[in-house]
Order: sequence, then C-alpha cells, then structure tokens
Amino acid sequence: MPRRGLKSNWLKFIKDDDLEQIRFAIVEVLAEVGVLMEYRPALEILADHGARVDWDTSVVKIPEDLLERALLTAPSRFTLYGKTPEYDVKVDLDRVYTIGGSCALSVLDLDGKHRLAVRQDLVDLTRLLEEMPNLDIMHQIVVPSDVPELGYELINFATCYSVSKRNYYSQAQSAESVRDQVRMAAVFQGSEEEALRRPTFTEVVCMVSPCKHEKQNSEVLMESARHGIPLYIEVDALCGATTPAPIAGTLVEQGANVLAGVVLAQLVNPGTPCIFSIASGIIDMANGAYSGAAPETTLIHAATAQVARRFGLPYQGGTGIDAKLPDAQAGYERALQVLTNILAGTNFVHLSYGMMEQMLLASYEQVVIDEEIIAAAFRIARGFEVNDYTLSVDLLARVGPLGGHFLTQRETRDFYRQDRWVPHITDRNTWDTWQAAGGKDMRQAANERARALLAEEKPWAVTHEQAAEIERLAQEGVRKAQERKERM
Amino acid sequence: MGEREDILAGLEKGVIEGEPEKVVELAQRALAAGIDPLDAINQGLIPGITEVGRRFECKDYFLPELMMAADAMKKGVTILEKEIAAGGRKRESLATVALGTVKGDIHDIGKSIVGTLLSAHGFDVIDLGVDVPAERFLEGVTDRGAGVVAMSALLPTTMPYMQRVIQELETRGLRDKVKVIVGGAPVTPEYARQIGADGYGDDAVAAVRVLRGLVTSGQ
Repeated sequence: MPRRGLKSNWLKFIKDDDLEQIRFAIVEVLAEVGVLMEYRPALEILADHGARVDWDTSVVKIPEDLLERALLTAPSRFTLYGKTPEYDVKVDLDRVYTIGGSCALSVLDLDGKHRLAVRQDLVDLTRLLEEMPNLDIMHQIVVPSDVPELGYELINFATCYSVSKRNYYSQAQSAESVRDQVRMAAVFQGSEEEALRRPTFTEVVCMVSPCKHEKQNSEVLMESARHGIPLYIEVDALCGATTPAPIAGTLVEQGANVLAGVVLAQLVNPGTPCIFSIASGIIDMANGAYSGAAPETTLIHAATAQVARRFGLPYQGGTGIDAKLPDAQAGYERALQVLTNILAGTNFVHLSYGMMEQMLLASYEQVVIDEEIIAAAFRIARGFEVNDYTLSVDLLARVGPLGGHFLTQRETRDFYRQDRWVPHITDRNTWDTWQAAGGKDMRQAANERARALLAEEKPWAVTHEQAAEIERLAQEGVRKAQERKERM
Repeated sequence: MGEREDILAGLEKGVIEGEPEKVVELAQRALAAGIDPLDAINQGLIPGITEVGRRFECKDYFLPELMMAADAMKKGVTILEKEIAAGGRKRESLATVALGTVKGDIHDIGKSIVGTLLSAHGFDVIDLGVDVPAERFLEGVTDRGAGVVAMSALLPTTMPYMQRVIQELETRGLRDKVKVIVGGAPVTPEYARQIGADGYGDDAVAAVRVLRGLVTSGQ
C-alpha cells in the first residue's frame, strides 16, 4: 500500500497558447544563449551528443532535437522508495506530496529560545516530522552548528536516515559523497545492489542563475545519474536579481537552466528520474532579501508547475516563509503558499514544515501548525463529488420541508466521517468554552502537542546496530573528505 | 544660474535619476568648462548619491534605483578621477576594500550590490569575485594595499570559512592592519562578533554605513 497523493491541477495561471510561448522561449534560450557548465566531462558528453560547446567559455548550447530526445527518456512516472512499502511514494504528473526541510541554521525551540541548531535538534525535529501524517519525504530541516562543515551532509544523512522511514531528500558535496550515501543505505537495505535497485534517497543539485552549472553540481548530478539515483534538478532564481524581473522571464531562465541538467542526466543514464525543481523567490527590493512568501514568489511556484508538466516532468516547488515567529504572518504566509501550490498541482511541495525567516530558522511549534494548515489545504483541494447520492434529492424528499433536519439521518452519519476534516489544534469553540479550556492560542496548543509527541520514544527506522554502523560510515566519509581536501 | 551651477545640478540630478549617459556627458562638459573635477565630484555627484541613500532608507527608492544611481555615479567618477590624476593630484579614497564571496560559495549578487554601493561612496573596491580562498583575500591586503577585507556568504555551510580568513590574517600578522566586515543571509551580528570581525552589515546600505563608521572613526 504505497502512498498515493491527491490528484490536483485545478489552478492555472498560464493560458495554453501563452504556455507554448514560454516553451518556445525556453527552447530558444537553450539553443541560442546556452548554459555555462564548469565541469568538463559534462561538456564532453553533451558535445558527443550534438550540443554546441564553446570550449573557451564553457558555454553549451543545446539544440531542440537533443532536448526532445532527452525528454523522451526522462520518466514522468516512477516510485520514490521508503524503508517500508507504505512509505513508497508513487510519483506522476498529477499527484501532490510534501517534503520537509531544509537546512535552517537556527531553531526556535519549545522554550521559545532562538538559538543555533545542534545535532540533537536535527534528531528531535526529524522525530517530530516523522509523526506528521501529511509529510511524504524527509529532508534535513537544520544544518547543526556542531557538525563539521566538510561532509556535514553525511552526518545529516546518518541522522535523518536512521530516524525516518520516509524517502530521504539528500544532497552531496562530491561524487564520493554520493557513493558514501549508497554505502550507508546499504546498511539498512542489505547490499549496495539493493540500495541502487530501490533507492531510498534522492539527490538534489542546485544550479545558479542565470544559467550556470558549477563543477560540484554537475559532478554530483552525473554520479547520481550513473547509479540511477533520482534527482531533484533545482534552480533557485532570485527574480529581479539573478533572473529577469517579469515572472515570465524568470520561468524561461528556470526552464533553460533546469532542462540543461535534465538533458545531462539523461545522456549519462537514460531513464534516470529527474524532478524539475525550484526554490526561487523574488528579491525584496527594499533590503535585497529573498522573500519566500511574497505573493509573487507563490505565483512563480504555481506557474512553474504548468511549465514542468508541459515538459512531462514531475515538479518540486514551494519554499520557506518569511515570518520569524509562529504568528499571524506565519499562518497567512504558509496557508496561501501551501494552498496555492497544492491547487496548482505542485507534485512536491517543499519546505512546507517549520521553515521560516528566509529558510534560516526552523520552529518546532510551526512544524505542528503547518501540519494543520497542510491538512486543511489538502481537504480544500480534494473538492467534492456530484452524483445522485450526493445531490441527495431522495433524502431531501424524505426529510421534507416541514421542519425536519439531517442530523439523525443515516446518510449524514455515513457521509460526514469520510468527508470532513477533523482539526487537531484548531479551536472552534466560543470565548467562554475556550477560556474554560485554558484560553490557549494556536502557538501554545502547538507547543503542547509537539512536547507530547516528542515525549513518546518511538523506535527509529533502523536497528541500533544499523544506526551505529551508518554513523561509523558517515564519520569515515567525513574523514575521507577531510583527507581529500588536504591533498588538494 | 550660471553654467557651473547648471552642470553641478545636472550631475546631481543624473545620479538621483540613475542616468549614466547623462552623467558621463555632464562630467565631460564640466571638464570642458574648466570646473575643478574634485568640485564636480564633491558638489555634484556626492550630493546626488547622498540623496539617493536618503530615499532608499525611507523606502521611496528601492534596489534597482539605488544600483542604477551607483552605476551612474561610478561612470562620472571614473572620468573625473582621470583628470584629477592627470593633474598629479589624487582623490581621497576612504579605504581600499578587498571584497569577495568566501570559498565554496558561488553566490554573486549580494556581494556585487555591496561592491557597487561602496565604490559609489568613495571606497576603492577590489572585487575578488566568488569562491575566494583565504590566500586571495590576503593578497588583496599585502599586494594591493587593501585596508578592509569584506566577506560575504549566502550558504550556512560556507559561512564558517570567514573565520578561517580572519585566522589567516592573524597568523600572518596582518589582522591589526585591516578592518574586517562580514555579511550575507546566514550571518548575524553575534556570529560576526564571535569570529572577531570588526563590523557586520544587515544589508548593502548598512555595509556602507558600518564601514564608513569604521574607517572614519579610526577605531
């Protein structure tokens, strides 16, 4: 019984013929402007397949027929594996899932303290996230300050991978790191062969705008593709600064930049699952900051869903919000962002749990509040059915206009349970009743719930022995990374 | 108003409106009219960029206007400084700044905004680019006379490298000779203090203000 996300693509911001114009513009930029790729082996394989490479500038231009050939082998349906079948995620172009994450430096803890994240926070937040029913994919929500910067992703992998049964959204600083992660997954899966047959983690590579693939990213992309490890090929455009200010122009840059990576992955290993990904935002012209929750940012994310689908690729969008506390700003930002993305059919709504302050801060309380918002948003997106049963004409006839009601009708009892969403920490009482129950606001309710969930010592996803072995491999990987650096 | 006043007012307006072509043309006219190029800078361009800064602070102007103004300013200064140098004089630079995004981090935009604003405000900027190793920051100090090291990082994982650069400066006995300022999304005032930086700017405008304070107070 794998997870099958809600099917959704209700919301369209781009008209069909406009979408064709965007597609043409992306194809034109790929073929005539090109993308800078620093990694020579990437340029070589592209050149071998008909791309035009300028060896002096490292700019590669990808003709339309090469793009089309690559898109033919890039699957639009695949599975991202969990540690057990009920955590498998069935990906296609219409289903919507959520991802946690990503990489905050600080936490807002349950005592209300704002402080640097430590490894224990990564453990606790991952345990908390693991209890969120609507979370589908696990990601490192913080980068702890007490782990080495070189190879930090291996320590984070060991932590999240050991705690969580969900498919893990990983990243790598080198090709060797990808191999280290395969070794760690093999501890749980029994062998490296099995770890590659059913990859339980996915790698993200983040391209730079405008149109630049730095060496490390291409290296990680090619290594992952060689092993058939699925890829989130991501661009983090800063609309107005690193991409054109108009949203349409930003969609064009994103498309060209991401698709260059998709083409490369398909040439290395045809059939490698590639997820068209963005974490773009507008630049706030008043302070130069990235705004994850600006309405224009949400528009970019919703519209990109259509662009990715047009190219037949599953899509990851969504990004952190700007609020610093679980306050009214946090609530409205998250709700608009999540609901819009779900309605737009963003296949993976990323950074949707607990991420605040331009992705710098993770809040325990907000994780729990976000589950509530996401659940409500999914309920809206599920819509309702119209058929003879739901039209209820017979029922209306039976109850009649003579002062009857529906509360005692069997149909009501049978129907409401499957139709209604039941909130966990949302209060719908009147003032007096709410006061009598303690008069808590949502942040307090979330705090209590988070504490209660963390107090339950649930078993981790792997055994103690496996966790210890995975940790040993992670530490070894960090040591090796250190040695490689010293040799350089 | 005489021609001199017209030109100086035009230079100021050209900066405020972010019109590099207009500023270039007026700078050349200023020289042709025999206006002292130092006066053209101090009484034309500087009041312009000061007004732009004021408008930015009160959210009347935003980054694009600010950057266009700085660009116009820079183009005017380039022409006028050439003439100052030809006369055997030198415009006082507030300080020479070795600026870059630290090693491992290839994010360019924030650092470039800071560079543009610093040079518009009378600093000599050596833009070392992105992914800059400690060694190149040090060369900026030893070989090119930078009195300020300005480091930027966007990624939490690359931020710790700033501390390495400061340690290298200490190891080489250069720490007392320079001011170090840091900035970028993950950087906080506490972090800046913790690693022993002299200053921290929350955004590009703050970076200019902080650095000005540092170099003029002689602290």
